[in-house]
Amino acid sequence: MAGIVGVLAFDKVWDVTKFVYYGTLGLQHRGYSYSGLSTLNEGFSTLRERRAPEDVEEDSLAQLHGWAGVGYSGNTEGIPVEGKEAVMVYDGVIKGDLPSIADSIARDPERALAELRGSASLIVLTKDGRMIGYKDDYGIKPLQMGGFGFDLAILASESSAFNVLGGEMTKELEPGEMVIIDVYGVQTKQVKEPRRAYCAIDIVYQSRIDSKVFGLDVYDVRVRIGEALAEERPINGDVVIGVPDTAIPYAIGYSRKLGLRLDLGFTRTGSPIRTMLAKDDFLKVVGVQLKLNPIKSSVKGKKVVLIDDSMVTGNTLKNTVFNLRRLGAKEVHVLIGSPKLISACPYGMEVPDSKELIAANLSDEEIAKVIGADSIYWLSVEGLKKAIGHSHLCLGCMTKVYPKVI
Amino acid sequence: MKVLLVGDGARENALADALANSPKGYRVFAVSSYVNPGIKEAVERTGGTYYIGKPTDPESVRQVIKAVNPDFGVIGPEDPLFNGVADEFRKEGIPVVGASKNCSTIEKSKVWMRELMWKYGIPGRLRFRAFSSVEEAAEFIKEYGGSVAVKPAEQVGGKGVKVVADLQAYLSKEKRIALSKGVSAIGSYAKGSVKIIIEEKVDGPEYTLHVLSDGNVTLPLPLAQDYKHAYLHSIGPETGGMGSISGPGKLLPFITDEEYERSYDIVRRTIQAIEDTFKEKYVGVISGQMMLTGLWGPTIIEYYSRLGDPEASAIIPRIKSDFGEVLELTATGHLAKAKLEVEEAPSVVRAVAPRGYPLNKEMASNKRIWLDLPKMRELGCKVYFGSVALEGNSLVTKGSRALELVAVQPFEEADKTLNKCFSLVSSEIPLIYRRDIGITIAEQVEKAEIVRFTYKNREARGLLGVSADWSPQGGLW
Repeated sequence: MAGIVGVLAFDKVWDVTKFVYYGTLGLQHRGYSYSGLSTLNEGFSTLRERRAPEDVEEDSLAQLHGWAGVGYSGNTEGIPVEGKEAVMVYDGVIKGDLPSIADSIARDPERALAELRGSASLIVLTKDGRMIGYKDDYGIKPLQMGGFGFDLAILASESSAFNVLGGEMTKELEPGEMVIIDVYGVQTKQVKEPRRAYCAIDIVYQSRIDSKVFGLDVYDVRVRIGEALAEERPINGDVVIGVPDTAIPYAIGYSRKLGLRLDLGFTRTGSPIRTMLAKDDFLKVVGVQLKLNPIKSSVKGKKVVLIDDSMVTGNTLKNTVFNLRRLGAKEVHVLIGSPKLISACPYGMEVPDSKELIAANLSDEEIAKVIGADSIYWLSVEGLKKAIGHSHLCLGCMTKVYPKVI
Repeated sequence: MKVLLVGDGARENALADALANSPKGYRVFAVSSYVNPGIKEAVERTGGTYYIGKPTDPESVRQVIKAVNPDFGVIGPEDPLFNGVADEFRKEGIPVVGASKNCSTIEKSKVWMRELMWKYGIPGRLRFRAFSSVEEAAEFIKEYGGSVAVKPAEQVGGKGVKVVADLQAYLSKEKRIALSKGVSAIGSYAKGSVKIIIEEKVDGPEYTLHVLSDGNVTLPLPLAQDYKHAYLHSIGPETGGMGSISGPGKLLPFITDEEYERSYDIVRRTIQAIEDTFKEKYVGVISGQMMLTGLWGPTIIEYYSRLGDPEASAIIPRIKSDFGEVLELTATGHLAKAKLEVEEAPSVVRAVAPRGYPLNKEMASNKRIWLDLPKMRELGCKVYFGSVALEGNSLVTKGSRALELVAVQPFEEADKTLNKCFSLVSSEIPLIYRRDIGITIAEQVEKAEIVRFTYKNREARGLLGVSADWSPQGGLW
């Protein structure tokens, strides 16, 4: 899981370091255990840190300077990858020796990308000043291009990065499409036939709600998911509550469709750390308590419809339900705005193995019992496709049908 | 009748074609700085003579006028106008489509243009500051609040516009530093004492309204939109325009009839203000390079005292009536008699430029290109020659946009036609060709819709055009 960004200035008076940095900040919801930046002047200067972009010290950015650069925020160590001729950031999985892959992309982009093993979107910045973007033929991970005025070209995972920089996203790369940007031009080329298997998790969970990914307005899709849940599983609750932040649009769609009252159920302590990304169970439990404190007035004496975006082990949700009951919720009915996660993701999304996924191991009744809910329901795969509006999706973690062998 | 055309680019090629195709049977004479193959063809077809000289130099053009003794003249580019070439025609008693040296100030001096709009209270004006010193301008940029556009104070072919968007306060330092570094480069474009103009920054879809004026009567042409970014997907440095669209009808898909009328009103009031200032008739073309903004609705970004290029290539092929004759009627003061019938179908123009344009003229110059013209025409594509010279039997680039490919067809079809045509162009240098032009209509419609909410609301509250910026150091601006 990662957000990647690349910035190239058409005039060397620009120092793009801060642009790259703020770009990564606009993408850190995609994964933030590690952050990294490389900038290009005569050669590369690179910074890699084991912390989120927002925790990177201002001082450590001062050592970077350049008219082009790439940035990374994600869960893999050692990125940007540094070869002899180029640096590379990527979202997904790339097999092989990464520095030499970055170099071979710099030498013969089309051929190296056609031969690329794995599944990823990537940005390579070469020493001679070319910024190469590529989204693999299945297009599992998003990658977009655009600019800032007449001055900068930008590549980034999601339009949120463009929004943060004040630039404009003008095009999402097609699966299998490569773009080469340098001071004298922008060329695109279809390296492989597009296969189109967009990551469903990216749409329902990972992307920011002000983003557009895979040509979809994320907020609209998520409201439609709430509406689809309302059609599939109408519950006459006293109040609908979404787990912040991702599930709030689901709750809005659900409550609107059924004419139910919508309330804020939680407030936050600290920064929005994603519990799904925390490695350790204890942290997850502590994380959720630190993060989300329920609001008594919203739930006391009420039949609560609680909507969340996904369920991995169920621990987070168990805590949430427990906390709502502690504040006097009469009933808690849980709805999940995505189909059951039953299988690991080989493409870099952090969905663990089946043995760690509660929905792969227990029946619905058992799960309801574990998390202490009165009932539980997951959005159907068909409902998800309908809300998204097409079925060119990777649903591997939900169906065990994987589009690409890597 | 003999007509003398001045200029050498794709716009002049389109004008030469319109004149040569007129049922009035004009003999087309032309003066260019190099042999433009398109103009050459129009000249030869009508039995004229093609002169190679200096279109920007009044003396050089005067000699051609004497030699040809034309019935009327048509001047394409701005530099001859700035230098008084139109005045040379009139001194010889020859009517001409082209603003006088005085009247062309509307394009030449961006400061004069803004002052005029404020003096006459013309809607669509922006707040501005003029600077004679590059240092002062740089200081102003660093210290001032708000978003600004920084431009050379004079028309220099669209070069040097920089914009600081200040919505992202955390980045404003970087943006402002880069800009204040760039200011001396911007200032170096202007030859006069005022170097830099800084204007409040506005946002929205851009469009151009061209108006013909014969000194008494005005005639608006269909709207066009040009695409300024050099590279694909609106990325890259500013150019004179890498392509354009026009239509359907007299509008664009994102501009309403009412907005068209308002734009026309702004341009008409400007023509009156120019005539009033110089006590001189405005005879020629004036084009409002406009933007639909939340501040005003139709807003003037700048004025051209001639047809835009590549807008001309989008508009002229859509005129079904005799545009050559319309030019004659403009020059001779009989525009009231002109008929202008416009094709309902829109057009898309895409320029072809050698790699290196617009940042490295040397790289983009003296490269050979080849094209299969008959086949391109067979496909339904018009080809206008721009910055490309016929040298011997070869086409050689001159450093700017070499060709403009035009298709008059619904947008999606035009896209396909132009791509096929482009595949028939080759070169010894990679070519820049924006195949995204004409296929982003929905995005433009949405942009217009967004600013329309704002300006309609301002209008209802009587706040059209009202804006200000404040900073602790600089106070209220």
